[in-house]
Amino acid sequence: MSTAYQSSSRKSWRLATGFAFTALACAILLGGVSAWLLGSVSIAGLSVAAFTFNFHIPAAFIRLFAVGRTVARYGERLTGHKAALTDQISRRVELFAAMAAAPAVRRAGWQLGDDSRLADYLDDVEDLDFARLRAGLPALTLACGLAVLIAGSAVLAPLSLLPITFLLLAILFAGNRVARAGAMAWDETRSLRRGGASRLGAAMASAVPLKVEGAWNRECAEALAALSRADGAQLALRRLQATLDMIAAAFGPAAGVSVMAAAWYAGGQGSELLAPMLLAFSWLALGEAINGGSRMLVAVLRRNAARAEIGQWTRGTASDRREFAPDNIKPGLLRHGALQRRAPDGRAIGMPISVLLARGQPTVLVGASGSGKTSLLKQIAGWIGDDAFAAGDRILPAGERRALVSLVLHDAVVLEDTVRANLFAGDVPDATLWRALEAVEMDGRIREAGGLDSWVRQDRFSLGEAQRINLARAWLSSRPLVLLDEPTEHLDEVQGERILERLLARFSDRIVVVSTHRAPPLRDVRTIELQP
Amino acid sequence: MNIAALPASSPDPGASAPATFTALSAAERLARPGLRSVLALQVLRTVLRLGFAATAAMAAGRLVMGETVDPWLVAGMIALLAAACVAGFAAERLQASAENAVSTRLRALAGERLGKMPARQLQSLSTGALIVSMQRHPESIAALVVGHRAATTMMAVGPLLAAIALCFVSWQAALLVICLTPVMILFFALVGNAIRRRADAQERAFGRLAGQFADRVRTLPTILANHATASEEAKLGRRLEGYAGETIGLLRIAFANAGIIDFFASLSIAILAIFLGLGHLKLATIPGFSNLELWQSLFILMIAPEYFAPFRGFSEQYHAKAEGLAAAAALDLLLDAAPVTAGALPVLDRLCLTLPAHGLVAIVGPSGSGKSTLLRRLAGLEPGAMPTPATRPLAAEEIAWVSTDAYVPEGTLSEAISWNGGALDRSRLENAARAIGLLDDALLPGGLDARLDKGGANLSGGQRLRIAIARAQLSGRTVLADEPTAKLDRATAEAVRRMLIGISGARLVVVATHDRDLAAAADLVVDLTRDDAVEVAA
Repeated sequence: MSTAYQSSSRKSWRLATGFAFTALACAILLGGVSAWLLGSVSIAGLSVAAFTFNFHIPAAFIRLFAVGRTVARYGERLTGHKAALTDQISRRVELFAAMAAAPAVRRAGWQLGDDSRLADYLDDVEDLDFARLRAGLPALTLACGLAVLIAGSAVLAPLSLLPITFLLLAILFAGNRVARAGAMAWDETRSLRRGGASRLGAAMASAVPLKVEGAWNRECAEALAALSRADGAQLALRRLQATLDMIAAAFGPAAGVSVMAAAWYAGGQGSELLAPMLLAFSWLALGEAINGGSRMLVAVLRRNAARAEIGQWTRGTASDRREFAPDNIKPGLLRHGALQRRAPDGRAIGMPISVLLARGQPTVLVGASGSGKTSLLKQIAGWIGDDAFAAGDRILPAGERRALVSLVLHDAVVLEDTVRANLFAGDVPDATLWRALEAVEMDGRIREAGGLDSWVRQDRFSLGEAQRINLARAWLSSRPLVLLDEPTEHLDEVQGERILERLLARFSDRIVVVSTHRAPPLRDVRTIELQP
Repeated sequence: MNIAALPASSPDPGASAPATFTALSAAERLARPGLRSVLALQVLRTVLRLGFAATAAMAAGRLVMGETVDPWLVAGMIALLAAACVAGFAAERLQASAENAVSTRLRALAGERLGKMPARQLQSLSTGALIVSMQRHPESIAALVVGHRAATTMMAVGPLLAAIALCFVSWQAALLVICLTPVMILFFALVGNAIRRRADAQERAFGRLAGQFADRVRTLPTILANHATASEEAKLGRRLEGYAGETIGLLRIAFANAGIIDFFASLSIAILAIFLGLGHLKLATIPGFSNLELWQSLFILMIAPEYFAPFRGFSEQYHAKAEGLAAAAALDLLLDAAPVTAGALPVLDRLCLTLPAHGLVAIVGPSGSGKSTLLRRLAGLEPGAMPTPATRPLAAEEIAWVSTDAYVPEGTLSEAISWNGGALDRSRLENAARAIGLLDDALLPGGLDARLDKGGANLSGGQRLRIAIARAQLSGRTVLADEPTAKLDRATAEAVRRMLIGISGARLVVVATHDRDLAAAADLVVDLTRDDAVEVAA
């Protein structure tokens, strides 16, 4: 699939580049040839040459350029976007795979589950997606247009190269400055924005205490002020852009004037000045295309920042990208003599503990909030740490356990998709899916929503309902190791116990670990009490 | 930053001052002064550019026709070009500043609005949506009321100025471009309708596919936990492909808009060049296009594109309008939501007790009986009847609130404990932190200098609560504690109880709690269990 994308993308870019060149050439020639024609006919009109002047050919060319410019610009826009969108598909699919392999996903608290972080991330992805369209393509055509007109100036009015070079150097100098200062301003914008956002998030999470203690206004205002300072940093960037745009706006007209002046200075007169005039008006037309050139620069520096940011997510993923799937082993016993518990950031917690997980006898992890229950579950699941567990006569390292485990996260979410897709059960019969939904007491709610193929979203469900969908996924899973993190959270006590009992009955032939902050009234369980 | 704290007299949280919040009209008011200057500069730039075009055409035309060119004309031309560029520069900078000023002040207004919002309503807002809104929406609205508004006005003024300039040379030429305009606008309307129809159809058919990438990134841990990475990757590819195809279909029409402007701008140049050329050749006598000097023809040729330029500037802003309006609507929805009212709790309205000046008061009762609400009323956070502590109501500066959602600023543990409490010496901080077991917490290595993430993201509820208790102990204020021992392990809960009882020796401590041990130690128990009678036991 990826090669198909590649070839179609390459074709689209080639087409877009062709259209872009045609559009620029037509625009330049339309201005230049029209002016040349007027000059020629004015001179011809003074004499009898008026009657022999071949008016129709240049007039036809002018019409051709006018239509050509319109059509080519339209084509450039359309094929350019098509190319960018084609790239976008393959880039985003690759990015998804790389993100899925990133260790950060398996650690605590998925940051991109947060709306504002996700919005920033999507901006970055978009900056990457469209950089080529916004900067690469226009820069290429402009550079070629510049080269042609500079060559023309060198032939027709060599002296004009002096001011043109001078202006070009000024643009390069200003561009360089904008690029450097702009990258700094953009970095500052991003970091201020993020700081303000997390500060506002912290204030919102503590809204009641802050309101009570009369500190809400101060904290909220400071968070918003940080966001406004971010806008201020962006203002600095826009001001820099304005400087560059001013010089760029002067460039085309100034070059045109220089060409005419140089040609006149070289002694050109009357019809000898017609060709320089064509060139001068071409410069004017090119100047129009340079307008807003600072946007290209900004697109580039945004792309660079986005690339660095996204790179941080996917760094260090190459090594453990694939999941090992041991051939159908069903361990009856999973053992670790001295497991050093670790916090998500790798710090050791407490003394090593001995863990023995047996098939048919659920293990319950009990501990207060913050005692590291989730971390231990993830350690058993092979999501964090690099511990090897013994399963009978073989050793199961983290990577292999990952393939064997059905980990039910307490903060699992609902995908924007059908109910069926949300159950992740593959090709099982509908009756099985319904049985799973019945087991978690969601069948009525799903029937109400329109059945297994209805389209659902997170915000259609309460926390308790999302949790029950999550438990239905576990019910449907056939992995030999089932880890349930706070399975009864967000459920009322009685219902939670009912559902948990059904789940445990279904998992009677597997290794099950349940974490909870209050010990459930379950018989025949092994309990591990965790101290922070 | 010095922001006035809430007035000492407990504010009435029931009354939120301005009745409605409309972001758009507020922004328009804020934008007015800046917008005027931006427009003035943009008009000035247009006039100067027209002046440059006139002088340049004159100079070039005279040069080619072998006439003398006045040096003043050349000097004037260069001066006009420079002035036009500078005016453009000033206009852009001013527009950027004006938009920045509007977004900053709009954000401050929104902040004031949030300040007046009752806590209950604040809690009902989605934090993520609020952050996105505060971060991005003021900027989008500012771009609408400054940039887009300026472009709209220029669309009327710019072509008018260009037409006037044309009139100086040939009113017939001016008439020609003016006559092209209604045709162009007709095309605009047709294309606009087609876009809308197509976009609606797309929304219906493909709205589901629009956010798929974002959704899959958001739900990545869930996908990973269910071993669905490979299948989701394949599905994502298919859906993105479908969405891209549909988007191209929409763009095909949307770009027609820009195409129309290009077409008319190009067409006008072509028509004018040919008419003028025929006029110069004296092959045809078209009124207004014959017997012109070369410079006059060149002038017409240079001005004609200027006539269409403002339309192009406007069409480039079309998404700014959509974004700005959507942002304003979202902000209004967030800040102007209907007030969230608390459920009626008649038991609290009948409550009649006087709280002591010091001692431990426990409010007990099952979930939903109004324990937390009573605590909030005591704090002046919610309106309603409430008991008066000692002689006067509590002010914000007299309360230390203890709960698992206590605020933790970024910085070290010692900064978190001394937050909102002024300067405290380190040994007192250390004693308080040790007494509550914060110093030997394995998850907080480094003692008082332990680094806390932004917003205490690396803290558990129990740790936050203990920080709040240490803070309360040092503050000398009345302590209101909401479920201080829930979700704590036994040893920590015991330390929390000890600390609260210790504080209650000198100050008033009110706790809403399920904890029997804590209630047993209280000097006064307010039992909200029964709906019709409040039991107060000393």
